[in-house]
Amino acid sequence: MRTRTNTTAILANAILFLLLLMPFTLRAEGASEYIAIRKQGSGRIAIALDKTMAKGGQEVQWASSVDATIKGGLDFTGLFNLLQAPANMHDAQGGALNFTALNSVGAEIYTGGTMTRQAGKAALDMEVYDALSGKQMMKRSYSGDEKQLRSMGLRFCADLVELLTGKRPQLFDSRIVYVSKRSGISISDFDGQNVEHITSGRQISMNPALSPDGNYLAWTDFTSGRSDLYIRNLATKTTVAVGKPGVSIAPCWRNGSDEVAVTLSFEGDHEIYLVKPNGTISRRLTNSRGIDVSPTFSPDGSKMAFVSQRSGPPQIFIQDLQGGGARRLTFSGSYNTQPSWSPAGDKIAYSSAQKNGEINIFTINTDGSGLLQLTGGSKYNESPSWSPDGSMIVFMSTRSGGRRLFMMNADGTNQRPMALGDGEQQQPSWIKGR
Amino acid sequence: MSHKFSAIACAAMVLLAGCSSKSAVSPSGQAGAGAGAGSGAGSAAGAGAGAGAAAGAGAVAGPVLGDIFYDFDSSALSKEAQDQLKQNAALLNKNAVQGATIEGHCDERGTSEYNIALGERRANSAKEYLTNLGISSSRLTTVSFGEERPFDPGHNEEAWAKNRRAHFVTK
Repeated sequence: MRTRTNTTAILANAILFLLLLMPFTLRAEGASEYIAIRKQGSGRIAIALDKTMAKGGQEVQWASSVDATIKGGLDFTGLFNLLQAPANMHDAQGGALNFTALNSVGAEIYTGGTMTRQAGKAALDMEVYDALSGKQMMKRSYSGDEKQLRSMGLRFCADLVELLTGKRPQLFDSRIVYVSKRSGISISDFDGQNVEHITSGRQISMNPALSPDGNYLAWTDFTSGRSDLYIRNLATKTTVAVGKPGVSIAPCWRNGSDEVAVTLSFEGDHEIYLVKPNGTISRRLTNSRGIDVSPTFSPDGSKMAFVSQRSGPPQIFIQDLQGGGARRLTFSGSYNTQPSWSPAGDKIAYSSAQKNGEINIFTINTDGSGLLQLTGGSKYNESPSWSPDGSMIVFMSTRSGGRRLFMMNADGTNQRPMALGDGEQQQPSWIKGR
Repeated sequence: MSHKFSAIACAAMVLLAGCSSKSAVSPSGQAGAGAGAGSGAGSAAGAGAGAGAAAGAGAVAGPVLGDIFYDFDSSALSKEAQDQLKQNAALLNKNAVQGATIEGHCDERGTSEYNIALGERRANSAKEYLTNLGISSSRLTTVSFGEERPFDPGHNEEAWAKNRRAHFVTK
């Protein structure tokens, strides 16, 4: 089922072999090797999360809230194996760390901290130790009021991931915009928390797309009785409707511009156009008989991948917007749609309706090589969208019955449902932080 | 083709069971029969409330323009679809109805956004056929709901065959 380049596997095995020979000391600069191993699914960083110490009713509540945030945040990354902290982790209650006990449960990293109340605010002091050498790797303080407990916990998560991987994660302030069948266009934090509804859900609304600068939201809306493109200025809360006859489908903002590409049919055929935030048409991008739909752009906005019927059943094509024709990208499968260009620019994720009745998500290099099937044996899997750092993909799956949002690593491992409320959800788009 | 069988089965079911839904699959459509089918559809819609989520909901009194059905990922008109459109044109020619909105629909397979385009091509193919038969295009409007308003919420070929349709809402 899966195709994978052998070189990656060989390289990762070589790294693993070298690591086995090396003395087990973990330094921040050495942590990238842990990432390479994790991608092969064979080694997460074993971390012991200590309960945050606190005295006083409110402080204990705050500490427990922060602990839950940190646990959830670190677990979400897929980088860690969260260990049950051993009972004899401390020599005495609140006493010195017992690294022998930590080593005995396989902990590589220890984190713990204290929560105090200072001038009415929550003050969190966190420490990180290399459990194998007993050396302190990080000591950092966070403070804020009660409403900021979650962001304090997530900031610690980001600092810890940056320490261990050398890269500042873009995950913890990213958001997902999606369609809730019950509540309409909605935006949640990366982990399904803090859901905000943009539309009412009384009319059909589809394919929400946030502009790269975060200022505009575009989507297809049926409030007028038929599909129309709506563009909302999120700051002023004003909305314009493009109002062209025919259909308006699948908006996607062009990177590096303030224009949104969308399929319109007012000229008779389904073609992709660029539209300005004020709702006026900037220019037409495609010109071929049949459906052209679902644009997605390279990180620099110079190229567009899209779905076209120009060769028969729907396939994905790439077009250079500076001029030149479109070249066909996908040749495997007879119904390939919903391309999503990776943030690094090297891959395109898409969904493919297969002969066995399943719809599955694949990734392919933009030169057509490296086809990789990410889902299988789980009914319909659609609408892939990359996380801002390219490490994960959010998508819709019907594997548990109704349409729900799921996430997976970019190589298809660690597929799990998003923790969103009841009701069906679809058409997710992963967007950068505020 | 399995879809043709399903479409025929669906039509037969409508005749035998008195139309279990709000959509009208017109039987061998003379004007009189059309009126009969219309009232039948009306009473069945009341009895079978909640069975489907067809757009243009509500019982239709009087002549009914029959739905037409399509193959997967196609807006081509089959022989059966053309026959049904001829019957619909006959009713429109008699001015039994003022006009119609033609709704293009798709089954749940494939992707939502592509299906909005496909649904419009289906509605347009039906409209073009009717205008070629002399019906004024001003009497016909089109709208695509893609896969968003399935007639049958099932997840099998029988349901999909019913959902790949152009549905006529008379004015």
